[in-house]
Amino acid sequence: MSEDPQIRASKIVETYQPVAAHIVQATKLTDTEILLELRLGNGQSLGHGAGQFVQISMFGVGEAPISVCSSPTQTETFELCVRAAGNVTKALHRLEAGDWVGIRGPYGHGFPVEEMVGKDILIIAGGIGLPPLRPLINLVLENREQYGRLIIVYGARSPQDLLFTDELNLWATCDDVEFHLIVEEPDDKWQGPVGVVTVPLRKIDIEPAKTLVAAAVGPPVMYRFVAFELLQKGLPEDNIYFSLERRMKCGVGKCGHCQLNNLYVCVDGPIFCYSDLQGLEEAVEAWAPPTAEAGGKRREPGKGHG
Amino acid sequence: MSICVVEHDELHALVQRLIQQGPAMGPRERQQQPGFYYFDWLNSADELVLDYVTTTLPPKKAFFPPREPFLEFSRTDPAKVRSMTDEGPFVLLGVHPCDLAAIEQLDIAYSDNIADGRYLANRARTTAIIGVDCWPDEYCLCTSVGTEQARGSADLFLTPIQRGYLVEVRTPRGQELLGDSAQLPATDQDEADTAQFRREKQRRVTAKFATGVEQFADILAAGGLTEVWQEVADRCYSCGSCSLVCPTCFCFDINDDINLDLTTGARIRTWDSCQLPDFALVAGGHNFRGERWERVRHRWHRKFLYLYTQYGRPFCTGCGRCSRACTADINLVEVSNDLIAYAQRETQNV
Ligand SMILES: Cc1cc2nc3c(=O)[nH]c(=O)nc-3n(C[C@H](O)[C@H](O)[C@H](O)COP(=O)(O)OP(=O)(O)OC[C@H]3O[C@@H](n4cnc5c(N)ncnc54)[C@H](O)[C@@H]3O)c2cc1C
Ligand code: SF4
Ligand code: SF4
Ligand code: FES
Repeated sequence: MSEDPQIRASKIVETYQPVAAHIVQATKLTDTEILLELRLGNGQSLGHGAGQFVQISMFGVGEAPISVCSSPTQTETFELCVRAAGNVTKALHRLEAGDWVGIRGPYGHGFPVEEMVGKDILIIAGGIGLPPLRPLINLVLENREQYGRLIIVYGARSPQDLLFTDELNLWATCDDVEFHLIVEEPDDKWQGPVGVVTVPLRKIDIEPAKTLVAAAVGPPVMYRFVAFELLQKGLPEDNIYFSLERRMKCGVGKCGHCQLNNLYVCVDGPIFCYSDLQGLEEAVEAWAPPTAEAGGKRREPGKGHG
Repeated sequence: MSICVVEHDELHALVQRLIQQGPAMGPRERQQQPGFYYFDWLNSADELVLDYVTTTLPPKKAFFPPREPFLEFSRTDPAKVRSMTDEGPFVLLGVHPCDLAAIEQLDIAYSDNIADGRYLANRARTTAIIGVDCWPDEYCLCTSVGTEQARGSADLFLTPIQRGYLVEVRTPRGQELLGDSAQLPATDQDEADTAQFRREKQRRVTAKFATGVEQFADILAAGGLTEVWQEVADRCYSCGSCSLVCPTCFCFDINDDINLDLTTGARIRTWDSCQLPDFALVAGGHNFRGERWERVRHRWHRKFLYLYTQYGRPFCTGCGRCSRACTADINLVEVSNDLIAYAQRETQNV
């Protein structure tokens, strides 16, 4: 630190100071999920990439990292889909149009959208995994001719838990979207398949070399099963992208909470290439899937595993 | 850099002048607990102890306080969300080489990539640092991590000699601090005293890693040490004291405090520890480091593998505070040497 301290002080930016954002619209999607449309108070566009997240503040309660779920091409406002999981997220559920919150970001490393051009895109979403993938889906749909096939697999717990139902209907009826929907706990009216995302995934034929996969599927064990299916299909590890979740406080690689071995999920992720997770003992999502013999137990880390 | 000698009385006068010019923080003895030292604001030069043994908390608290309100807010008015202003500039006195190294490491980590504006603003308030050489105790391990001669960003560095201190003037700011204090040329005797001090210091460091830090990083990276981690975890209470006293630990938590009016409040940053059970817990209940041995391993990995690889130096300055603080007697050097011995045994068995 050779620079004059006074000069340095004058250049300092307030890393953790949020800007005000106004709620344009608050829409209840399910009992537990709300969709917030926000506009930054400073008149600027958020300028996010697909897969990035923000830190949203409810002052007096705290901050929570939430993925931006609107398309990067939508610049006037942006959207967040929030599941009520704890203090901050529950407080977010009480917001109405006209209210305001604090926003920091966008943060993190998103999807390599340029690399995806010309490829077949396979999206695998489980539950609250759909929102972080939605900007990517939108990007592909907006520039449909630039991509090959668009395959979307979406699994939810029950029909009541389905998010963005209007869009789901649209995807289901679109000729150039191959859409697979599945729920674990059907109700009386449910006519579709029952199970988890790996069920439809298993049946999908893909050309491994020209397919890129983006997945956000919830608990770590689901990621392992999804990886297993994909690798079975011959998909190269380089073609698989996972959106990971960790506890986060700072969002900028400082507080240490999100650390995954030598990586910070907030800066190096949350979108990771599967091959970059290999050999990292704390990348539990990329461990070999539990086998019947191991009784679903964790593999002993250490040797040959980081 | 230049070298001179400042005699005892002159240094006392210089410290007194600095204290009068503005706030100065330095090591003082605890009144209730003689023989224990802590960094605090000095009212007079008599309070400053330069031949102290390592303080319980490192001087990082001067610019990375254990609890720092940094943002004030009103829930009803976005215009009232403001960063809270700092106190003014101050000087930091009597910092040991290991702690100078630690300040440098925090500077590096907090400036890297997306810089931590809050830390840098606080750090910029430290307008001068005066370092001083020390006598190690049985917990110090500076020679294993190469910090025994560290100077970091000290403007002046003092080595005790017979007639006062041999002073390394390391920056123009250091020269400015000396002002019109009498600066004597170092004699052969002064040089000999200095060399003798450093030799004796080196000799007093008895806690040593059985390998160099590079080889240690390789051993950690190779893994297969679960048995040792589990043995340590069996004794560890996950109390987090080891991180709280560490001069290079920089993890933190952020929380909101609401005032009694239920409208205004402050956002607060507090020290945090990766050893605490909830550190990597997420909503929904998944804990990414739920097992105690995983947290113990993480502490070693972070200091001697990840940050070592990222910044080219271990994030341990050998101050020994963690070992001194641990109620379970978990000693950094002993555990590291157990890991090394275990790894060496394993390779021989292959
Ligand atoms: C990159 C990323 C993107 C996310 N995107 C979404 C999204 O689009 N929609 C959505 O509903 N949820 C998302 N989450 C999860 C969401 O951040 C957590 O549900 C939320 O932080 C829980 O905070 P809380 O205060 O409501 O819960 P509490 O359990 O009360 O949490 C207390 C504190 O723990 C921390 N914490 C707890 N769980 C998490 C967690 N899972 N991740 C990070 N910090 C945590 C928070 O900092 C919080 O202040 C995302 C998480 C990450 C890391
Ligand atoms: S101070 Fe000792 S007991 Fe406490 S967390 Fe650290 S190693 Fe464990
Ligand atoms: S790990 Fe222990 S010895 Fe190393 S710098 Fe931290 S407190 Fe000091
Ligand atoms: S959230 Fe703080 S380091 Fe990633």
